[in-house]
Amino acid sequence: MTVIRLYPPLFEEGKHAKFLDSGHTLCAAQSPRDNSVAVFATNVYKVNSQAPRSLEDKHSDPRDIYTASTDRVPSAERRLFVTDTSVVFASLQDFKNNHSEQDSLIGRSEQVSPVLIKHAVDYVRIVVDSWAQASPLQYDDNHYRILYNCLSLFVVLYLPEAGFDDAPVGEELMEWLNTHFIEPSSEEGDHLSSQDKPWQDETFWPYLTSSHPRIVQFSTEREFVVALRRWKEKVKSLRLELDRVPEDAREDDFENWWKPFSNIVGILEGRPEIIQNICIELNADWKEVCAAWSIFVNHRLRRQDLPEVVNQILEIMPPDPTDLEDTIHVALFRGETMEALSHAAKLDGWLAAHWVDLMEPLDLLTPRVSDDSDISVRDQYVLSYADYLHSDPVLWRITVAYMCSCGSIGRERADQVLLRVPISFNRSVAGSHDANVSVEVPDALRAVVETCHEYGRESVRRMVCTIAAQNFLRRKEYGLGVSYATSAENWTWLGRIVDAVLTEYIKHGPEVFARSVAAVAPSLQELRAHPGADGVFTHRLLFAVRYAEFHQRRLNGDLQEAALDILTMFNEGLAPRTWWGVLLCDAVDLVRNDNLMLYSSSGAVELLKRLEEVHLGASQGAGDDYLSILMVTMKGSDESEALQRLKSARLSLAKYYAKCTMVAGGRDISGSRVGIIAV
Amino acid sequence: MAPSDPIPIETAHEDMIHDAQLDYYGKRLATCSSDRTIKVFDVVDGEPQRGAGQTLKGHTGPVWQVAWAHPKFGHILASCSYDGKVIIWKEQQPSSAGWAKIKEHSLHTASVNSVSWAPHELGAILACASSDGKISVLTFKDDGQWGADVFEAHAIGCNAVSWAPAARAGSLLAPNAGGRRPAPAKRFASAGCDNIVKIWGFSEETQAWVEEDVLEGHADWVRDVAWAPNIGLPRSYIATASQDKTVLVWTKDTPSAPWAKTALDPSVSAAPSAGATPGKFPDVVWRVSWSLAGNVLAVSCGDGKVTLWKENLKGGWECVSDVSS
Repeated sequence: MTVIRLYPPLFEEGKHAKFLDSGHTLCAAQSPRDNSVAVFATNVYKVNSQAPRSLEDKHSDPRDIYTASTDRVPSAERRLFVTDTSVVFASLQDFKNNHSEQDSLIGRSEQVSPVLIKHAVDYVRIVVDSWAQASPLQYDDNHYRILYNCLSLFVVLYLPEAGFDDAPVGEELMEWLNTHFIEPSSEEGDHLSSQDKPWQDETFWPYLTSSHPRIVQFSTEREFVVALRRWKEKVKSLRLELDRVPEDAREDDFENWWKPFSNIVGILEGRPEIIQNICIELNADWKEVCAAWSIFVNHRLRRQDLPEVVNQILEIMPPDPTDLEDTIHVALFRGETMEALSHAAKLDGWLAAHWVDLMEPLDLLTPRVSDDSDISVRDQYVLSYADYLHSDPVLWRITVAYMCSCGSIGRERADQVLLRVPISFNRSVAGSHDANVSVEVPDALRAVVETCHEYGRESVRRMVCTIAAQNFLRRKEYGLGVSYATSAENWTWLGRIVDAVLTEYIKHGPEVFARSVAAVAPSLQELRAHPGADGVFTHRLLFAVRYAEFHQRRLNGDLQEAALDILTMFNEGLAPRTWWGVLLCDAVDLVRNDNLMLYSSSGAVELLKRLEEVHLGASQGAGDDYLSILMVTMKGSDESEALQRLKSARLSLAKYYAKCTMVAGGRDISGSRVGIIAV
Repeated sequence: MAPSDPIPIETAHEDMIHDAQLDYYGKRLATCSSDRTIKVFDVVDGEPQRGAGQTLKGHTGPVWQVAWAHPKFGHILASCSYDGKVIIWKEQQPSSAGWAKIKEHSLHTASVNSVSWAPHELGAILACASSDGKISVLTFKDDGQWGADVFEAHAIGCNAVSWAPAARAGSLLAPNAGGRRPAPAKRFASAGCDNIVKIWGFSEETQAWVEEDVLEGHADWVRDVAWAPNIGLPRSYIATASQDKTVLVWTKDTPSAPWAKTALDPSVSAAPSAGATPGKFPDVVWRVSWSLAGNVLAVSCGDGKVTLWKENLKGGWECVSDVSS
């Protein structure tokens, strides 16, 4: 259990009771962003609203808020370590996912072992690299050394080369021991023999083993066995010779030389008790005895046989229970992988998480799923590590990657992390309509959406896109707003954005409106292609685009096309009814241009028909339906004023129609009857 | 992994702080105080940003709690006070324009002790618990108006309210027949001065809130209730804190199973104090809250400590951290 103390403290040592008596206590709120907690002092009697008595001798203001965290946010070198290993982890997950259909994943199949070995070795390599760079601030180099030792031992004991499962393990054990615990030296045997107690020299074991036949020197086990037998014969003859030395010759001027020499021969003979005694004398530990055993006593010792041997040795040479590293080694030697994991977790969550991920396909975890919760043992350790990563919000991508490898529960936790990645839309362009300022999609937003795609987190992606659309709308970046609303398939918001664009026209007039629409127009294609697109909103967007085009043409002086635009909007049913009033006034404005006959008579008739409909509607009390936008653009005038305007529009239009028919040589437009023009 | 040194944020409140809440992204901190104001700060890596603190004034009594709404509704904060009012604030655009009150709710006749926003999938809905014994549920409707349901909950007074997560527990582990997603659950738990916790569900037929369950187990006022976020696990978890010095964690394995309770036991922690009673905290327990993933429970106790608890592999709860001055 970790204990966190607030600094600067709220009260001195011994004043705890006073703090409580004055009605204060501590309260906390957890942060959704990382593993921190906001802690503050508050009063206890709030329901009775009794104000607490003031604190005397306070060291720090009780109105301050403290932030605390149980995890140390990774420092630079640790962050690098975490990032590098996450790449290896991801590669292993890819492999597992690709092979999940084949149940050969469980067990040491020919395909699985090499992959696992490769990844384990990659981890080791990264640990070694980090070791070289370890700063004293967070995890010192001793920590990485321990990681290195444990990982390599794991590789030796549990990840033999494919096909070598049953091969004797002595060689590799000795090598591991020498690499990690005894510094190798290139000195030769004469150096040893020149010493009184040669076994105290650091080159003792390497020297002995170098003369002893080693399995790696032979290409078949049979050859090795033959060579070993010959060696044993030599040793036997040496022993005989030694034993023939008479008692009194066993001493020289200094000491009894015979005994130590006999011991050396004893080792070569493979006598367990001699080896143990030597090791005790050497202050060597159980690991060295094990290694020596596997070379000299039983050269055919296999991995499976280790637990028994280890237990025997440990009875005489118990391990140091306060040394976490040693405890892990013991568990590994004994084959107690679950034990090893739980100790590893105390050392470094990183080790437990990556180990359990390697152990799972080797079927080393029993039970695979813990009884009470529904999370597998592997997921538990990996999620625990991911929680640690969450303490650094910058590492969110890695946190999500680890969480998503842990089944549905992991993915849901990843969702929560993804949803809360803060995205700063830092440019606020309220009030600015400068189209020249380029719009940037925040990198964080892109990254989150990409990550959602990668892990198939659809609902999260939609929520994030919806929130993004809102933010873009608030900043009047309509193009991006529409794009993200479409991506989120949030048609309500799409509608809101289009309405906002249309409102631009009402508030700021045609030019601003045209520019706003220009930003939005490209999204129209995308929208039309979208299978789920709600027709209503697509329609509205289309109208906005067309109407903007009309204004653009009018501004450019392209009046003929502009006139046609209006007609098309009516004929294609694009114009929403609320906008008819506005459109009709626009149409008539064009008509008032005396020089140009922009509408054909049938066009004029069409417009008159629409006008008639508006009047009819207004007279039946549905004026709002047609005139609401017009009224707003006329700066809040009421219905009668709007109608008045339309009446004058009707007059102009009727005059125009008359002109039309005259110009057309008096030819009457067949079939159409125009309503009585009331003045 | 060694714990880090906490850095204090100066709030400049003129009186005692009653609540501090971080927003959805953990980037802003809202605090409320007996000085009748609410302050909002930008927080980056634990440090408040200069010049970014804003003060919200409007209450006429100590403000007890603040609650941030889901960002999809915009930047919205709710607060409740001894003056019996609940105020909903919205940050104006541009953000330099500050916060404005968008709704003031005065349907209670006594102090409002707690406010809690419903899961965003249900819309903008706020539940408020008051010392007048009633709970009010405010719903923001499509036409821009707020609807309110007020009903009697706990006779002597209600202390806290907490919503259930929208997705039904276990809905993602057991595939739904027909592939339809189950309708989001609309329910919350309330803690009262009558020593009990009640679970309320909304009935679509009667369009009213109905008492669905009663959790009895405390011997004194229940001060706080917190419903854990549901991350795919089949179980629902509710934590309750009481004046009887206990914290109970209630679990329900399936929708039809009854609620089972476990008491948190501080006496098994590393340094049990002399005479510690199993299952009891040293003093009254005031607040409980769950972490984002629902795997860590923060408990605030009257002995001046905040402890963090995690469920272990065997289903029991163990204390993993202890925060004190």
